[in-house]
Amino acid sequence: MDLLAHLAAYVTVCEERNFSRAAERLGIAQPLLSRRIKTLEQHFGGELFDRTRRQIETSNLGVLLLPHAKDVLSRAEHLRDLARSARETAVRAIGVPPDCEPAALARVIRAGAEHGIVVSIQELPADVRAARLDDGSLAFAVLRLPPETAPLGVPLGLASAETLATTARGRPVHLEDLRPRRGADHGPRPAVLISPEDAPFAADRLRKAAARAGLPEDRIRTTSSTATALAETLAGNGMLLCTEQFARRHQVSWVPLADATLHRGYELAAAPSRHGAGVPPDWLATLLAAALGTTTRAASNAPAAGHTDDARAQLAARG
Amino acid sequence: MSTRLAYVASDPALLAVAESVAADWERVGARGHLLARNIDTGEEFGFDADTLVPLASVIKVAIALAVLDRTAAGTLDPAYQVTISPGTRSLGPTGLGAFRYPATLAVGDLVHQMLTVSDNAAGDTLLDLVGIDEVNRSLRAWNCPGIRIRHRLHRYYECAAGAAGNDFGIALGLAIQDDRSGSHTIEILDTAHANVGSATALVDLLQRVWLDQISQPSATAELRRIMALQVFTQRLSSDLRTDTVRVSGKTGTFLHLRHEIGVVETDSDDRIVIAALTRSTRRASIAADIDLAIGAAARSAFEALRR
Repeated sequence: MDLLAHLAAYVTVCEERNFSRAAERLGIAQPLLSRRIKTLEQHFGGELFDRTRRQIETSNLGVLLLPHAKDVLSRAEHLRDLARSARETAVRAIGVPPDCEPAALARVIRAGAEHGIVVSIQELPADVRAARLDDGSLAFAVLRLPPETAPLGVPLGLASAETLATTARGRPVHLEDLRPRRGADHGPRPAVLISPEDAPFAADRLRKAAARAGLPEDRIRTTSSTATALAETLAGNGMLLCTEQFARRHQVSWVPLADATLHRGYELAAAPSRHGAGVPPDWLATLLAAALGTTTRAASNAPAAGHTDDARAQLAARG
Repeated sequence: MSTRLAYVASDPALLAVAESVAADWERVGARGHLLARNIDTGEEFGFDADTLVPLASVIKVAIALAVLDRTAAGTLDPAYQVTISPGTRSLGPTGLGAFRYPATLAVGDLVHQMLTVSDNAAGDTLLDLVGIDEVNRSLRAWNCPGIRIRHRLHRYYECAAGAAGNDFGIALGLAIQDDRSGSHTIEILDTAHANVGSATALVDLLQRVWLDQISQPSATAELRRIMALQVFTQRLSSDLRTDTVRVSGKTGTFLHLRHEIGVVETDSDDRIVIAALTRSTRRASIAADIDLAIGAAARSAFEALRR
């Protein structure tokens, strides 16, 4: 039995809830589809569909097995992709963060062609970039690191519908600036919005820094998509934490965040090969750095922990 | 935060004030316990006022009254001199608790140090002179069942440092996390082991101090005199103080706890007693907006309750 073809039949019928539509989608004859479902039911020792009603319903067993069947199919597909990309070794997949500069990415693709490599750029979330680099489906990936140790730094700042007061004086924004002024009326305060690209790395750091700067931690909000975060920012309900080039592309005003430990840190890494860790070519590193909007510097201003009596007294009952 | 607050209010208008204070506190990431009462009319409002709360330095008011009760009775000499040495003293950010050389002070001035600058070393010196059991015996004799002292002031430091190894950020994180889970790594934040009191018990205590209905008039008069000299004004009195409005208070601050109890008195003879006990989820040592929110609550309470 071709288990994958049978599972595909079962998953498609589940999705279409109709044998003839499922057969059409799979490009096979309906009797063949029915036979495959029957064979699969014999294989699992139970009915996958309830055929007693006019509309096909998935049985309890069918519901239970569905996510696992989908999992098997998606892994098989990934395996095929992997095999294909290994076959076409000239195509190098590069994993990049979602909000890179498109024109700069185009330069990466053109430069690849000049070096005899077909480059395929894939915008992926940070954890997926790391995983796909590990399993070899990406040749190179831009990986996220703490900004203190990262070779590539991308300054983050706050994008807002209205220009922040600090921009007028040309200085970066400090979190303390976001505190309401004493005596000001207590209207709603715009939240600092964190896009999914930054959330796993920046959210907790930013919340801690905000608390220390005198802001309620719930002024820092993670969002489910960069687009909705941008929409809230344009509507004046929030300030999006983003790069300067992202803000410029969407024509919102932007001020850099003064604290460099809250910026992005990246490194360009190559997939592990038989000869150990690969090394990305210099031309690629230079062009990707431009696409990310990096400055090449490593921030380092970790506060020294004090163990003097005065610092210890912070833990005592105070005032 | 989703649990409903138990409000108390003498009339519907005061209930509205209580609700707006609770909302205001929640906006800055604090929650807690409030009771405000006009000493003369008895009108009052607040919320969750009967819950026992770890008091931090607010307990120093009870220690002070126990000491002053004994000096008034003549069993303890207010001029009795004690030498406090850096090697053995309790730790704190102010006063003798921060001194680097031995200092000799009289009992009467130790009370002053303990209440005006919240001096932990002065507080523990007095507590060692009187004894924890004796302070509790006095609280029982005065019928103050809602206030209890169980440990010295240095214990705050010992417990926090013991759990977090001198790292303030970790200790604060633990305190916040333990509030969520309800099981306390830092023992003296557990109401079963803490120096505790409720807002109601503390308001009752201050009311009786101001009305000379507790201990002896010379003791309560001295407590009122010193409480008026407190140097910390960032909290309860932040939006109240004028030449015509005086606030006598005692703050309490430990990790995520920000408390103050006090009495507001005016030239027009209004007397409002307030207890505001808060805890927050803010991972910061200083939260000016929470202090100001407590000050705003005190201002609202004062204006709602004065005649």
